[in-house]
Amino acid sequence: MEKIPWKIEPIIRLNDVTIGYNVKEPLVEIPNLEIFPGEIVAIAGPSGVGKSTLLKTIVGLIRPISGSIEVCGKFFRDRPDRGELGYVPQGLGLVRHASVLHNVMLGADAGHNTPIPFIGVFRPSLLLSWLLKKKTAKKKAIQAINSMGLEEKISEPIRRLSGGQQRRVATARTLAQCPKLIIADEFLSELDEKTIDMVLGEVTKYVRSSNAALLVVEHDITRAKMMADRLLVIDDGRINPFITEPTALEVKI
Amino acid sequence: MNFFHKISRPSWLGICILIFLFSIIVFNGMINDWGRASQGLGNLITFFNESLWPPDWSVLEPQAYPVCTVYPNFMDFTCSTAWIGMVETIKIAFVSTVFGTILSIPLSLLAARNLNQSWVSYSSRFILAGFRSLPSLIWAIFFVILVGFGPLAGVLAMTVYTVGYLGKLQYEAIEGMAKIPLDASEAMGLTKFETALKVVIPESANDLISQAIFMFEYNFRHGTVIGIVGAGGIGYYINLYLKFLQYDKVIAYLIIIFVVVLIIDFISIKARSYFTEEIDLPRSTWKSIFLPSFLN
Repeated sequence: MEKIPWKIEPIIRLNDVTIGYNVKEPLVEIPNLEIFPGEIVAIAGPSGVGKSTLLKTIVGLIRPISGSIEVCGKFFRDRPDRGELGYVPQGLGLVRHASVLHNVMLGADAGHNTPIPFIGVFRPSLLLSWLLKKKTAKKKAIQAINSMGLEEKISEPIRRLSGGQQRRVATARTLAQCPKLIIADEFLSELDEKTIDMVLGEVTKYVRSSNAALLVVEHDITRAKMMADRLLVIDDGRINPFITEPTALEVKI
Repeated sequence: MNFFHKISRPSWLGICILIFLFSIIVFNGMINDWGRASQGLGNLITFFNESLWPPDWSVLEPQAYPVCTVYPNFMDFTCSTAWIGMVETIKIAFVSTVFGTILSIPLSLLAARNLNQSWVSYSSRFILAGFRSLPSLIWAIFFVILVGFGPLAGVLAMTVYTVGYLGKLQYEAIEGMAKIPLDASEAMGLTKFETALKVVIPESANDLISQAIFMFEYNFRHGTVIGIVGAGGIGYYINLYLKFLQYDKVIAYLIIIFVVVLIIDFISIKARSYFTEEIDLPRSTWKSIFLPSFLN
């Protein structure tokens, strides 16, 4: 069936969702939230208000207290398909004893490659296609590392990198994955101004060109306004849309 | 309010004293003749002078059995029972550590609660606990019955025990690893197998390697004992001379074992210091291993 261009399905759809770790103490209530392809949405708010918890709930690591969450066409409990969702957690979640390439390859493998089934050992065609996919994945990984300016660190273990470099590795891992949806928790902290421009530029370019969505938690409200199409402010346990000027989103639709 | 918060320091001291007194009472209940304890020292001196000392270093000379030839004459100690038994013990320890490590890694990955559902992890833990429940000496008796005397029984016994013991150390290391890499790989949609292979094992590799080295050291120490039940190694000869009441030879073996255990312990500490978690920590030097810290 041909897709009708003016009826775009949202990538994230939240309906009457309440989140929190404890049923008795709900952190945030979200009556309605839809995020469309090609859109950059930032979430701001004071610390401890539940921004990271909201992201973890959308990723599917925490179960919501109530409500329905649909991510990439899958409702909660069913995970999005392999590689569709890219997640940059606040603690980055890199394998500290492995090289930069190994870490970025994790994302690239998730996005472009499926593990070879055991029977593949006896079927050359399967083995060949797996090898080809592996090659694509490696190309994507190296591309992503280069775009983050980490060419020289490619075989360096993560624990020898600075905090900002580690953050770029985590971003590269997600970019190499080519996900439909990027969920990033403060992926710009610990970076200097020049690097922020580079990282933000690359991520924005990816989001716009491949029609993915980006949901990001950002502490700095001016930067959040600058980079996002929509800014959501969590305050008083409610999520409030902060109206910004119409941007590329309207132009695109 | 927690119960323990109410107890102030003096009463903690009182509890310790009470426990100690209780242990004395229990001990006293088991002993019916305290006079034997006072005879012990005198017996030791007699035994030491008459049978133990001086050690009979003939154990380092080539013997008629086991049959063995060596060309350069000064190397003939390699034909002695002490050397042959020691080398066999080291071989048994090495082989069983390698096999045990290979077998214990999948089991410990299954036993880690942060990677699996609880029924998987608990059934894997049950298997590991089963392997661990008997000491390697008892496993050695069991395998000697199954496959007969010799190093094969020793290797099997030590491997089984290594799987149980090392598996426990490993799943504790894996459960101690940070949760965020697992979250990230779950979000990416990596399969459990990929996560284990590419995230969990590299992340906890330092612990796994250092524990495997520790296990080799441990297996060597226990490998000297399992020969007593006929499972190969230097313990066989110790048992032999114990039966003939040649305690001066036994003490020579024990001194050799003591020296080799010390050497292997030092090597193990040194090797493990290369796999400490933080690279910023100073690595232990040879001097710091051999000398007490106040002499450094």
